[in-house]
Amino acid sequence: MHGKRRPIPKVPTQIAGLDEILEGGLPRGRTTLVCGGPGSGKTVVGLEFLCRGAMAGEPGVFVTFEERAEAIRLNARSMGWDLAAMEKAGKIAIIEARFPQVEVLSGDFDIQGMLAIAGGHAKRIRAKRIVMDALDVLLRIYNDLNRERNELFRLHDWLIDRKLTSILSVKTHHDNVKHVSQYEFLDFMADCVIRLDHRVVGQVATRRLRVIKYRGSGFGTNEYPYVFGERGIVLFPLTMAELTHQPLGPKVSTGLKGLDLMLDGGFRRASCVLVSGNSGAGKTTLACTFAQAACRRGERVLSLNFEESKEALISGMLSAGIDLRPSIRARKLLIQTAMPESIGSDGHLGRTIQALDSFKPNHLILDAVSACLRMGSERAAFDFMMRLISVVKDRGVTSILTNQAKSSEGDDEELSGIGFSSVVDAVIQLRFVETDQEVNRQIFVVKSRGSAHSNRRQSYVITDRGIEFPDRPRPPPDRARRAGRKDGRK
Amino acid sequence: MSKSRNGKKNAGNGRRGHHLFLLFMAGNGPNSKKALNNLRNLCREHLKGRFTIETVDVVKDFQAAVKNNILVTPALILVAPLPRVMVLGDLSDLPKVLAALRLSGSEL
Repeated sequence: MHGKRRPIPKVPTQIAGLDEILEGGLPRGRTTLVCGGPGSGKTVVGLEFLCRGAMAGEPGVFVTFEERAEAIRLNARSMGWDLAAMEKAGKIAIIEARFPQVEVLSGDFDIQGMLAIAGGHAKRIRAKRIVMDALDVLLRIYNDLNRERNELFRLHDWLIDRKLTSILSVKTHHDNVKHVSQYEFLDFMADCVIRLDHRVVGQVATRRLRVIKYRGSGFGTNEYPYVFGERGIVLFPLTMAELTHQPLGPKVSTGLKGLDLMLDGGFRRASCVLVSGNSGAGKTTLACTFAQAACRRGERVLSLNFEESKEALISGMLSAGIDLRPSIRARKLLIQTAMPESIGSDGHLGRTIQALDSFKPNHLILDAVSACLRMGSERAAFDFMMRLISVVKDRGVTSILTNQAKSSEGDDEELSGIGFSSVVDAVIQLRFVETDQEVNRQIFVVKSRGSAHSNRRQSYVITDRGIEFPDRPRPPPDRARRAGRKDGRK
Repeated sequence: MSKSRNGKKNAGNGRRGHHLFLLFMAGNGPNSKKALNNLRNLCREHLKGRFTIETVDVVKDFQAAVKNNILVTPALILVAPLPRVMVLGDLSDLPKVLAALRLSGSEL
């Protein structure tokens, strides 16, 4: 698919993530078919394409064969686009091409009327783009495959003649054989075909976008998850996003002097830190200690909590001497809680990305990775984590992920639980150690990319003043030697 | 908008039994021409002297198409007498067209 042809002219859609998949955008002056089942978001794709175009100086015409113009305006408003204002400004024209049901049909006819109306408006606003939404409804009036095809050819020629970059949306029902052959023809006619899929996996609704073909261009061939954000569609082209990660930044304090010592100064900014341990080991306490310290420095922390409510988290931390309330009041800490099973992994990802965009945190806490499994399947949780970490790294945000280890040993394979350890930069392990008389807690830095770290298991306790180290933790081995020399010179 | 009055010069719209037709066509498309011919023949036969045909070319006058929500051509609107009726297509199915225009039976 990735030929060495001369690149064809393209129109960026500016739909988040889509242009990466389309290697630049839709084919300029050509037709793109967007098909999908009911509720898959075909209309929104078209709307966003037009609205972003209008804002970028490319006016567009929206022809709706199914919904009323007012419903389209309302739909757009929910995404934050004021169509009425754009219509007034002559940047968008909406044409309601809904066929009254009562008309009598007699003999041959064609859609010249509709094309005349669309053409008139296109000329008036100097349109460069056009969306024909629910073309299947238009085709229904023919009830004859040959006439349908003739009309489609006519429509196609009309669009090409006017050099309009167009999106034709078609509702598909995969169980209907007649429809399949009908749309095969459409697939053939269009230069680019995008399929939207809205399915339910493990009782969780997920949306996937796939580019079926793109004449004269390469394209991302995977299925890409997408969600409806507050500002249109958001796609997650994972493999492409990975290329733009920020490098790991300077050290940032963990909020614990002892742990800072073990980590040679702290976590690195924009790194992904996994805190793993058994239930009750203090993972959440460790993460909240970090959050509190960051907020006190004036940095912002977004905390995603999949395990307990905001109130339960706040009161739980109070007993460990960590008062999160001032940070929340100062709008430095934003706690977002959700049941993992509530909206599906794509929904969670979309929600998190929105929070990242609006709140612009320096650090992100996710408690807990293990709870993400409840988003549907291991695969869904893996996708969620991979994409989340990718997005977070892209923005230079430090992420602290907690994970409940399955066994008391907490061996390496189980540190992550869902196998995304390759993107994790540092792993902190918390565990219980039983002796004859008591059970003690120990902390150990398993790995810390791009940084020296202590090689010792360090005992710690959780008191009403937070996490404390009874013995002064040892710095990384070589630092210890240097520090020792320094001490000796004094 | 071009008018072709095939009735008497003073055939006003308000006159009882007078039929006013609006035919929307797309340039000189074959089915548009066919529709106009079919309509003329039909009127001459069934509405001698009691009809007016006005034609609109949507390619030239898209505002008229917008105003009347004309999406397919040819499209015929019976403006008077009320109620309005719209018939789509080249009007080749005579009995169907006559029935839609309330011209079958007693009107003959």
